Amino acid sequence: MLKIEHLTKTYGDKKAVDDVTLHIKAGEIFGFIGHNGAGKSTTLKSAVGILRFDEGKIFIDGKSIIDDPIGCKKEMAYIPDNPDMYEFMSGIKYLNFVADVYGISSSERNEKIHKYADIFEITQDLGMPISSYSHGMKQKLALISAWMHEPKLIIMDEPFVGLDPKASHLLKEMMREHYDKGGAIFFSTHVLEVAEKLCDKVAIINHGKLVKVGTMDDVKGDDSLEEVFLELEAV
Amino acid sequence: MLKTLVKKQLFEVFKGYFYDAKRNKMRSKFVIAAWFVFFAVIMVGVLGGMFLALSLTLCGPLISCNAGWFYFVLMGTVAVLLGSFGSVYNSYTALYLSKDNDLLLSLPIPVRDIVGSRLINVYLLGVMYILTVTIPTEIVYFMQTGITGAKVLCGILFFFIISAIVMLISCAFGYVIAKISLRLKNKSFITAFVTLAAVAAYYFFYFKAGDFIRDLLVNATIYAENVRRYAYPLYLFGQIGEGNILWCFVFTVVFAGACFLLWRHMLKSFISIATASSKVEKVQYVEKTVKEKTPFEALIHKELLRFTSSPTYMLNCGLGIILMPAAGILLLFKGQVIIEAMERVFSDYPGSATAFLCTGLIFMGSMIDTAVPSVSLEGKSIWISHSLPVKPVQVLLSKMTLQIVLAAMPTLIAALCTSMIVDESFICKLLIVIMPMIFALFSAAIDTVIAVKAPLLNWTNEMAPIKQSGGAFLAIFSFWGLSILFAAVYMLAGFRFGIVMYLIAWSVLFAVLSILIIVWLCTKGAGIYSELA
Repeated sequence: MLKIEHLTKTYGDKKAVDDVTLHIKAGEIFGFIGHNGAGKSTTLKSAVGILRFDEGKIFIDGKSIIDDPIGCKKEMAYIPDNPDMYEFMSGIKYLNFVADVYGISSSERNEKIHKYADIFEITQDLGMPISSYSHGMKQKLALISAWMHEPKLIIMDEPFVGLDPKASHLLKEMMREHYDKGGAIFFSTHVLEVAEKLCDKVAIINHGKLVKVGTMDDVKGDDSLEEVFLELEAV
Repeated sequence: MLKTLVKKQLFEVFKGYFYDAKRNKMRSKFVIAAWFVFFAVIMVGVLGGMFLALSLTLCGPLISCNAGWFYFVLMGTVAVLLGSFGSVYNSYTALYLSKDNDLLLSLPIPVRDIVGSRLINVYLLGVMYILTVTIPTEIVYFMQTGITGAKVLCGILFFFIISAIVMLISCAFGYVIAKISLRLKNKSFITAFVTLAAVAAYYFFYFKAGDFIRDLLVNATIYAENVRRYAYPLYLFGQIGEGNILWCFVFTVVFAGACFLLWRHMLKSFISIATASSKVEKVQYVEKTVKEKTPFEALIHKELLRFTSSPTYMLNCGLGIILMPAAGILLLFKGQVIIEAMERVFSDYPGSATAFLCTGLIFMGSMIDTAVPSVSLEGKSIWISHSLPVKPVQVLLSKMTLQIVLAAMPTLIAALCTSMIVDESFICKLLIVIMPMIFALFSAAIDTVIAVKAPLLNWTNEMAPIKQSGGAFLAIFSFWGLSILFAAVYMLAGFRFGIVMYLIAWSVLFAVLSILIIVWLCTKGAGIYSELA
């Protein structure tokens, strides 16, 4: 579903991502962990087509993000670490805007909005301007807009930040449901317990380089993910 | 700390002068100096030149009838009006709407430093306008009466008193607007409406100014005597300019005291207003079937929502939407008088009245420039358009299209009114309608280029991209220059070919340039946009 091959991205003289190769298959939940500034967000943004990269190739469902960005974006959804949204819109207007862009029919969008807004308990707030939303509510709105068009691949940067425990739990369930339907999820997180419980595969990035990739069992062995992560960080 | 905050504020205002966003590095000292020289030339050359002419008109006659003080009252009033007009809304947004208010308040920075830095910012922007009036005022006065030490000292204090008055007015209005907006529901439209009413009043007095000045010069002695009799403090105020040391210090002390009281009040009320949540009416969500839009329509609708959500945006980039039909209707009533006056003055240049009216259409058309700050206003939410399946070119063209849509009807009304009053052939009347419509396309295209070439994405106050960015200045002054060029070329050579040929030539030029610019937007412009982050 997502193929990242030899991705390299530099900011000035600094290599933010250095020759990263990752393959995420359909029906996989893939965790991406690393310290602050390790290159997680740069990798995710490159995969989404937000950032131009210097070297490498990225394919989504067989399509190149460079040659066919629109085709790629139709197959995926992205949620950034800090959902700065169109504050001048109400929640429902934002969702309708996203639905229009993805060409979702009126009846289908209503059904999806109804379903996910009810799950996150923000249905009654959809008429309010986004500027009045809390960080968590914006995060929930971003999640609804991502799930609404049933993407094959969902890319999320720190999706649990700002969510209350109940919403975090609901998000985990939605991720599993997406996985059960054969969708792929690629997300970064600092919450290692969540990664350990949710992910089939995990990649650890340190100073722009991948230091460990594989199934959860391969990566952590008999240790906890936290122990492996701290050990790799210390090297 | 205050110095650091002021530097930060001013850096934000003039960021485009210091920082090359395209190359992601600071500009060289030479380029920075060149930008500031350009800015100074524009301010001094355009505004300063206008007020120099006014000073030259008023100073001599008023001094000759022993009413030099009245000259300072009049020029002082002009300075106060200009400074206040430019700063009233600025003080509201700069003080209370800055996005970094919460951040700064959470840091160990004294509130007085935060308020002080904001006020200094408002003060300096006001001073920028005031100086374009007070400097010519003093220069012309010194030329007429000679220089003495007392006059120079009083001249300097006259400027400071004027700036204090502007500051008081700006902050008082800013405070009132802030208080009212906390209670308003549809505050974008109400704020825009109230400000437009003020603008209308401003232009009413502006257009009456010519008659007023003529009347004033004829009856200078009577007016001066009336002011002295019924508004004695104004008489005393005017004496400051003439070098009256006593009243100079009295007024300085009075306004210094007023500023101190303002300062105390601002300090006291700042936190409660800056951190207050305005009343957000609970809107009950009712599920309903919405009309589906194509991605491009959705993008245009999004741009429209952005435009109507902000009074600052509407007022600074949509003034022409109101002004053009208003001017058109005004022309229907007063057009003949204006045409006859122009034909008398420029009798050697056939068709000049029509050319000047078309210049007016171009000038007012350029006052609809919603596309200019549109890319910058994406700000930190630019990730949305980058991550959605829409092409960068669609995003840019949606910004351009909204401007065309907003400009089309006002331009058509103004152009139709103009063509109705001119005594020209049918072809010419048709061209008077066609040329401004093509110009609307051209200006939208140019404004979109400016938007994508000079973006300012990291702003803390939307005033920065809308009103204070390099792109905003470039757009305003480019179209002022173009308007002047349009009229000047006609007076220099165009009249020899006739107004019809002249309008055809400009229509073709605007159309060809529009096509070339749109091609650029679809290729290079889209590429630049896709790399903005």
